[in-house]
Amino acid sequence: MNEELLRLKQLLNGLGPLSDDDWIAFSLIWEPFSAKRKELITVAGDTEKYLYFVVEGVQRVYYFDEQGREATIVFTYAPSFGGVIDSLLLQQPSKYFYETLTTSIFLKTTFTELNLLLSTRPALEALVFKGVVQVLSGVLERVTELQCFTSEEKFRRLLFRSPHILQLVPHKYLANYIGIDATNFSKLINRIKL
Amino acid sequence: MNASTKIDLLDHLNSRVQRHLDIAVSKFQNLDESTLLKPSSTGGWSIAQCLDHLNSYGDFYLPEIKEAIKSTQGSPQGEFRSGWLGGYFAKMMEPSAKKYKALKGHIPHSNLDAHAVIAKFISQQEDLLKYLQLAVLADLDIRVPISISNLIKLKLGDVLKFLIAHNERHIQQALRNIQ
Repeated sequence: MNEELLRLKQLLNGLGPLSDDDWIAFSLIWEPFSAKRKELITVAGDTEKYLYFVVEGVQRVYYFDEQGREATIVFTYAPSFGGVIDSLLLQQPSKYFYETLTTSIFLKTTFTELNLLLSTRPALEALVFKGVVQVLSGVLERVTELQCFTSEEKFRRLLFRSPHILQLVPHKYLANYIGIDATNFSKLINRIKL
Repeated sequence: MNASTKIDLLDHLNSRVQRHLDIAVSKFQNLDESTLLKPSSTGGWSIAQCLDHLNSYGDFYLPEIKEAIKSTQGSPQGEFRSGWLGGYFAKMMEPSAKKYKALKGHIPHSNLDAHAVIAKFISQQEDLLKYLQLAVLADLDIRVPISISNLIKLKLGDVLKFLIAHNERHIQQALRNIQ
């Protein structure tokens, strides 16, 4: 088994038990995909066709509107799933963009293949359900942080979750994720001094 | 590299810009202000000044490059051949021991907001990457005005080569400040 699939298997095993038979069926629907830095993978208005598994690199899901308002909603990195998940699972036009922030390697599968597989394998469907609930859990946590935490606390949480992100991603995206002006970001770093 | 396929040239330039971004993101943006503003050991430019100098070129050339790409469509040309002057300029800008004096309008300031300079440089390089992707569909022979003389225009392909070689030159200079 190649290393990318092995990592995918580890991620699934973390969600719950998986039979060999189910794993083999699941492993067959993935194909490798790579992108350079700052490539748009999913465009708002299009329906998400793929589920991604991030093998390498950092990406972001973000909102951007005609008034130039921008919100970095989530960063994705290995080993986790990527793409605009709600658009994928509901098969509705995406409200968000998905782009790479560094050179990235993925595995990807189509909604059609995934859906077909899940409809015939309840154990896999249960795992995916659990994975989606964990995503929901992460979103609720983030909403709480956004409403209650100071910029400094949000910044610390981000660094706790992804310690290397300062060296990987331009600071303006981190500032946007935290919800502060990019010009205040260097002051924040100075204050915290890791 | 005076003649090359268009795709090879754009690929080569793309990976150079990627590397410049990697350096700016992994190193420069994480340095504190005093390090960024410190003159070199020989009294030369600080890191912030090196990048401010590059930003002044970006300010001029990026809109010109964007415009040039927008004005041409679906050129099938498979090969790019440098113009004699453009090829000469691009080669001259590659890193070397030889020094040139910064030209008027491109001399960096001394009282800089260091982190704003780095952030601007990163944004410019991200724009440049986007243009390199779009340039696959553009005619690289189209002529683009240059910053130092309004009498001369160079081929888009040469302007890209020149700009990115010039970036390389001063990024290496900036890196020497933290070695």
